Amino acid sequence: MKKNEFEYESSSFRDNFGNVFIFKNKILRSVKSVAIENYQLLKKKDVFKKSISSNFLISFKEVPKDNLPNFFDKFHYVLDSEVIPFISYPYEWSFSQLKAAALHHLNFQIYLLNLDVVLRDSSAYNIQFLNGRPVFIDILSLKKYEEGEYWNGYKQFCENFLNPLLLGSLKGIRHNEWFKGSLEGISTLELNKILNLKDKLSLKVLIHIVAQANLLNKNINNPKDAEKKLKKIRKFSKSSYLFLLKQLKKWINNLKFKKSKTLWENYKNEHTYNDQELHKKKIIVANFIEKQKPDKIIDLGCNTGIFSEIAIERGAKNVVGLDFDENAIDEAFSKSFNKKISFLPLVSDLSNPSPNQGWMQNERKGLIERFRSNVLIALAVEHHLVIGKNIPIIQFIKWIKNFANYGLLEFVPKNDETVSRMLISRKDIFENYNEIYFEKRLSEHTKILNKYKISDSGRVIFEYEVL
Amino acid sequence: MKKIYTLFSIILFYFFLSSSAYAYIDPGSGSIILQAIIAAFVGASTTITIYWKKIKLFFSKIFKKKDNEKK
Repeated sequence: MKKNEFEYESSSFRDNFGNVFIFKNKILRSVKSVAIENYQLLKKKDVFKKSISSNFLISFKEVPKDNLPNFFDKFHYVLDSEVIPFISYPYEWSFSQLKAAALHHLNFQIYLLNLDVVLRDSSAYNIQFLNGRPVFIDILSLKKYEEGEYWNGYKQFCENFLNPLLLGSLKGIRHNEWFKGSLEGISTLELNKILNLKDKLSLKVLIHIVAQANLLNKNINNPKDAEKKLKKIRKFSKSSYLFLLKQLKKWINNLKFKKSKTLWENYKNEHTYNDQELHKKKIIVANFIEKQKPDKIIDLGCNTGIFSEIAIERGAKNVVGLDFDENAIDEAFSKSFNKKISFLPLVSDLSNPSPNQGWMQNERKGLIERFRSNVLIALAVEHHLVIGKNIPIIQFIKWIKNFANYGLLEFVPKNDETVSRMLISRKDIFENYNEIYFEKRLSEHTKILNKYKISDSGRVIFEYEVL
Repeated sequence: MKKIYTLFSIILFYFFLSSSAYAYIDPGSGSIILQAIIAAFVGASTTITIYWKKIKLFFSKIFKKKDNEKK
């Protein structure tokens, strides 16, 4: 980007109230003429100030247009909001992260309604995580409450929050894959189809899912009838609005994922690490971070976040951790939430990372675009991709160096217990899978700065710099 | 009571009636109508609560009277 160039944030195209731009590492939001009146009113009533100080809304300030490109002259206001180090999407959140986001949305709505303000929509993408906590980022979604109005975002709230959570709590199915394929969330009509009689015995499910699905269906079939009904419909009282929000809050607060033991819970217990090995790894990570003092770091295969936490303790500013095990991510999230640290754990299958998708294939961005960092740590990850997913070593190395210029990368050899266990039930087709070959390939793309042997089985950590 | 009866008959009606087809209408209208039903439900339960309190008050007065008579 040239000095005076700005970039249009492609996910904000739907909003007719304003758009988002990136200019000199700042996040700028334009307030279009249709939104001015509403914006001024809320500003006068101190709604923004109160929402920010109560930690509901991202902090922002109005910026003078003198230092901005001419393009911004046409806007009455330009808002500069706090930068979120790593943007994440609901299909990358674990159950407890989605639940925290849903509760944040409801709590914010309840708070706002008491100030005679509502949110224009209920998109889960309007919530991001900052220092372990959810925060609402769409400043222009706030609008004055009109007496008698209905909750416009109710259907979207169900699709973006309630339905994916119910999929987890009633069926024990993770929402991630479904949500990733259907970016607007999980439709009430579809969820209704997979619920059985036992699920439907709950009055709440009966109302919010079964009745809603049937009403939606009925109106699709009979639009004229729906139109008539809508014309005759009474005003929605504020007390009913609040009742609806509070009931949903109470319900969601009690939702728990229907659990069966996953791989990693067992893995944690049967862990093939021994204490000595873990201790060595911790020291290597700590020294590396102290040396690098990174602003952003990505931890691939972060598990419950042991090394991410060390990184934060040793001076890394922001960490994003990825792991395919949702239970491990849930546990990692509870750490970052309780300690309010800038560690964002996310669910991701590294062999099928989040793609560029949505409108123009640019609305929601892929993993590398969002998580490019100063340093990378990838401990005990390589064998899951190379052995577990048949990814050639050379491709693995080329892929991993996209994330950061410096890194710590662990190689797990065949005689290690985990790898030999992975090969028990399959043919060993990995002829070149050894430390010498791995190191040779790595040194073609990076400069190896250090090499640490960390176990008797031959596990090695390489510290590298991308050439 | 009429409100509650209507509510439950509506719920039961929708519970058993199911169909699917697609047409061009704002798909959110069903969700708005549902909110209207919920509002009716809230209204009805408030009415019941008020009546229930009145009934309780009525009986508690009677029993108090009796207690006083005993004393």
